[in-house]
Amino acid sequence: MNKPSKLLLVDDNDEILSTLKDYLIKKGYEVFSASDGLEALKLLETDQQGFDLVITDLVMPNISGVGLIAIIKKKFPGLPVIAITGWGEHPEALATEVQADLVLEKPFELSELDKSLKKLLSLELDS
Amino acid sequence: MMPPLIGSSKSIEKIRELIDRVADMGLNVLITGESGVGKEVVAQNLYYKSQRKDKPFIKVNCAALPDGLLESELFGFERGAFTGAVQSKRGKFELAHQGVIFLDEIGDMPRSLQAKLLRVLQSGEFSRLGSEKEVTADAWVIASTNQSLVENVKKGLFREDLYYRLNIIKIYIPPLRNRPEDIPTLIDYFIERYASQFDRNKISKPDADAMEKLIAYSWPGNVRELQSILQSSMVIGNWKEIVDDLSIKDKSNVYSTSDQKGLDKALTVDTFLDLKNENSPEHASFSLKKIRKETMNIIDKRVISHVLNQTGWNRTKASKILKISYKTLLYKISDLDIKSSIQNR
Repeated sequence: MNKPSKLLLVDDNDEILSTLKDYLIKKGYEVFSASDGLEALKLLETDQQGFDLVITDLVMPNISGVGLIAIIKKKFPGLPVIAITGWGEHPEALATEVQADLVLEKPFELSELDKSLKKLLSLELDS
Repeated sequence: MMPPLIGSSKSIEKIRELIDRVADMGLNVLITGESGVGKEVVAQNLYYKSQRKDKPFIKVNCAALPDGLLESELFGFERGAFTGAVQSKRGKFELAHQGVIFLDEIGDMPRSLQAKLLRVLQSGEFSRLGSEKEVTADAWVIASTNQSLVENVKKGLFREDLYYRLNIIKIYIPPLRNRPEDIPTLIDYFIERYASQFDRNKISKPDADAMEKLIAYSWPGNVRELQSILQSSMVIGNWKEIVDDLSIKDKSNVYSTSDQKGLDKALTVDTFLDLKNENSPEHASFSLKKIRKETMNIIDKRVISHVLNQTGWNRTKASKILKISYKTLLYKISDLDIKSSIQNR
């Protein structure tokens, strides 16, 4: 990897956010984080070309993960999104409906996340 | 015309930002907050900032209509669907096509109707009462409630799948007491707004002392209460009397809501003469008129609560027993802040 991939991590739970962030930084990614959908959207808008992938929780205040994915697919159509959720079947189904590229159910192995990331990022590179 | 969203607090600023970003996305919105905080104002701001602004904005109050009527109101009916349906009628969803349907008090929607609403949200399809034919409508759904839908889901009163589907964008408006910095701005705004209806020279703005008291007041009725106080200030014109009234109200609220035992206690003349000495004749705010009003409120509250609990909160039945109109009852429930003592109603 010449230039590290730039990821946006969105979760309203600080602990999950910092655990994931630490892990992904160790794995060599450049990681930015936001604690809700609105904050995430503002980061995306100010840095249009920058992000390679978004990882988002689904149930959050103001703009939910489902809302964020729907908006990303409309405004930034090429940007892949991984939804992570521990809220059961309903948010998961909604994430699929708004075309999340991948839905990961909590708890998951961090290595599984890394594997999925590599796969989605290489797909993006190919296209 | 778009009603302005007044306030400079962080939470109102954030709501403005949120509205600007989601208004054109057509995603379902759930607006929450106590009565009187301005949920409809937020809904209208979303509408006016969207591309749907030239199409209809249709409001339906889900708490104001009995179940059967709410269904026909929302989805329409065919001729002969029920006694009295002499001609077919389009429902609010059809009327809101390409515009907005604002479902106020969604927490009061009966479960049977929630299933039908869920289907509309999933597919945009529904059928009128008394018809098998599918109708489609593209209405942007903005819902609002002052209840905790999460709690309602736990109690089995609200469908979980519908909750998540409505909750794509969530806008929470905090009560006024949690953002006192908005109070002076709101006061200026309403005074300016009513000024045109009254003689401008006679309008008195609250002085520093009155303003301090207005900011300290708890505003249980939120912006709506502030608005009505401002309206009466135009008529009364005496800020001292108004703020004294409010501080008494705050104290009696503490007395009547947080101290339920106090409310259940027999009412005696002494109760009113000695409300922690605030109502004693030596006190400057003592007045027969105020005491009369407070007494009536406490009596109204107790009698209405009693009848509502007796009828299992059947408001139609209760209004008949009390011999007041349904509308008056709803007003009293909200004005006197009457709450059900029964869980799971």
